[in-house]
Amino acid sequence: MKQFGRYWKRALLFFTVFGPATITAMADNDAAGVATYSLAGANFGYSILFVILLATILLAITQEMGARIAVVTGKGLGDLIRERYGIVLSVVIFSFLMFANMGTIIANVSAIKTTAEMFKLPALPLLVAIVVLAFIFVSKGNYKTNQNIFLISGFFYIAYIFSAIKAAPDWGNALTSVIVPTNIHLSKEFIFGSIAVLGTTITPWGQFFIQSYVIDKNVSLDKLKFVQIETYIGAVLTDLFSFFMIVATAATLFAHNIALTSGEQAAMAIRPFAGPLASVLFGLGIFNAGFMGMVIVSLTTAYAFSEFFGTKGSLDVSFNREKIFYGIFLFQLITAAIIVTFPFISLFKIVFYTQSINAILLPFVFYFLLKITNNKELMGVYTNKSWYNWVAIFASFLIICASLFTIISYIL
Amino acid sequence: MIYFSELVNRRVYTQDQVEVGKVSDCIFLATDQPRITKVHIKDKDKNKFLVPIEYFIKINDSVLVQKNYQIVEQVENEISIVKNLLDKQIIDIGGNKVVRANDVIIQERPFFFVSGVDIGLVGVLRWFKLEKPLFSILRRLRIHWLPQILSWADIQPIELARGRVKLKIKETKLKKVRPEDLADHLEKTNIVNVKRILNILDEQFAAEVIGNLNINFQTALFRHMNPEKAAKIISLVEPDEAVDILLTVNKQKREQILQFISEENKKEIVYLLSLSKTPIGGLITSEYLLADSNLTVSEIISLLKKETKDFSYLSYVYFVNKQQQLVGVCNLHELLLQNPGTPAYRFMTQNVIVIHLTTPEEIALNKLLKYQLYALPVLDDNKFLLGIVTLDNVMDFMAEKLK
Repeated sequence: MKQFGRYWKRALLFFTVFGPATITAMADNDAAGVATYSLAGANFGYSILFVILLATILLAITQEMGARIAVVTGKGLGDLIRERYGIVLSVVIFSFLMFANMGTIIANVSAIKTTAEMFKLPALPLLVAIVVLAFIFVSKGNYKTNQNIFLISGFFYIAYIFSAIKAAPDWGNALTSVIVPTNIHLSKEFIFGSIAVLGTTITPWGQFFIQSYVIDKNVSLDKLKFVQIETYIGAVLTDLFSFFMIVATAATLFAHNIALTSGEQAAMAIRPFAGPLASVLFGLGIFNAGFMGMVIVSLTTAYAFSEFFGTKGSLDVSFNREKIFYGIFLFQLITAAIIVTFPFISLFKIVFYTQSINAILLPFVFYFLLKITNNKELMGVYTNKSWYNWVAIFASFLIICASLFTIISYIL
Repeated sequence: MIYFSELVNRRVYTQDQVEVGKVSDCIFLATDQPRITKVHIKDKDKNKFLVPIEYFIKINDSVLVQKNYQIVEQVENEISIVKNLLDKQIIDIGGNKVVRANDVIIQERPFFFVSGVDIGLVGVLRWFKLEKPLFSILRRLRIHWLPQILSWADIQPIELARGRVKLKIKETKLKKVRPEDLADHLEKTNIVNVKRILNILDEQFAAEVIGNLNINFQTALFRHMNPEKAAKIISLVEPDEAVDILLTVNKQKREQILQFISEENKKEIVYLLSLSKTPIGGLITSEYLLADSNLTVSEIISLLKKETKDFSYLSYVYFVNKQQQLVGVCNLHELLLQNPGTPAYRFMTQNVIVIHLTTPEEIALNKLLKYQLYALPVLDDNKFLLGIVTLDNVMDFMAEKLK
């Protein structure tokens, strides 16, 4: 009985810290993420699933470092970059982050619009309503309400599980593909596809967000273990959904050799094979992912700039006392909505530039992460263990190579 | 005043134009009077070393250091601008995040010290050399945008050494200071605070500080102090200053304080006090120019052309803040040396030598000679300028007296 009680206590403790890592990881599957997975599934079938495993490990490692820094130092990535590397470098990094995030938000808002149009819903009023609602929730609600909204939104990803089931995939093949590389044709396209999957999962904003969000939650140092466990669970959970997204398109579009030019089409394209319910669920999933991505990425910029200027930047502070924070949040949503409504810049170009900026930013972000997690002065006894450090360095190296590869191939 | 962003990476030369390196940091005392004591220099081979401020001849557009400079170490109670202040999170007394230190303001006179931090957006832009272009555009649009500044008076120096930039007040009470008002940061803290600070400071230093305070404050301070302590400080101040201060308290208190002053000091002070029957009032002229300290050099020059046409002589321009209190002065030479777009608060001397209506003529003359000035501003209790007393006037008067 005593034993049982202790488990209960631990479980309860875990739930007091639960949230940030899972939400960050979920948000990595934003609309752009869904589009990438759909494309990857449609173009490469189950073979791309192996990359998911790799992405999960990398995501878990990088998110864990971010969360650990946040709990131990009580500072966000923005705080630390500003304090340790000075104002000039910070301004450069933060401007890049702002532009990349803006691009990501535009991609998400655009996905909402496209999905709405596909389902014959009035796109413009819907966009306005979403922006207004998002702003009200974020500015009026406190940390807890917002976390719950995000978690509910994260829960809706199960739509993809149903879509995948409806697609009647070859489960055995799918599962083995995750662990054992199966049917991989190392073509240029496949490498690009893999990098895109990695790139959409591991993002600069994700690293900024998890740290800021953990801090906003005020997690004490003695609960570090639980936070670390959560980052692993979050990474697995997220990529579980990615798995189902890929399976859904692989079992339908790839199996029938139907090429997909854009990810948003996936919802419509799977209809003939998986039925209308799967199609609607898939569409709802994109819609939900777009909403989550839009809000979380805007929040990331808002957090980062509050850290840059040293203001409170917390969901628990009222709008009147934290105008910069909420102002930046709203500004991005409105800008994105305007750009999407009046497409004077091609969305393709925006996505391209966003990916490029993210690819440039990532090496810096990982450099900072590794530097900070190895700094005894900051981290005390919580610095990276030697083996972990090597894994982290290798992971960063892999991600950096992938991102550099993307930039170079764009240029060539 | 000079911003740290403008000082950092400046090349340091000796008098014979040998390059020593670049300024990389400044070391200052973590006290209420944050004197800069050492300058960090980084040479071409990336060696870093500390040179005491005393060896510097000039720290301005160019930085000159004496040839025979020494290299020293940082000692206890000394902290660095880069490591302890710049870019750091500023928290209020309750530990809430308030803002970040975007730039650090250094005052050159009477000695080099940190007078405050820039917490505004302008402080960020300055690092990218965008402050001046922005201000010139804004001025053209007739928008007067001032840097947002936090005075040193609001910061807890003790906390700095512990690695935190903590305010003495609640965030909600935080008032952003105007740059022209920075020099007087002691006056912005309340009397109790000042008393506490003066008790910590060594007496020589306290005396210097008191000498720099405005008369209102000096009076209040001496009213609170016990006569013995007051006497101690009075004996450390120059006799001229001492008399000026003593004349601000009532006769009874003055007698009490005098009792504690040593005989030799007392003699001179009593003599000077006896002169106080002939105060300065009659010598005041109104041929002076007052300007807002936010005006730029070109604006001041055009104001000067318009306002002083019928003056017989003008040697200084006096600057006031928004409350019309005297906050600075500059002579015409200094004015002409500046770029037309520079606002006055950037170059004016903030530590103005002043006299009061109660000041005897002899003391006025002493001050004029001692500081080699052509004129002294006469202030009332609220730091309003009543007029000026010029060297000519005082000399005439003295000559008259000697006849």
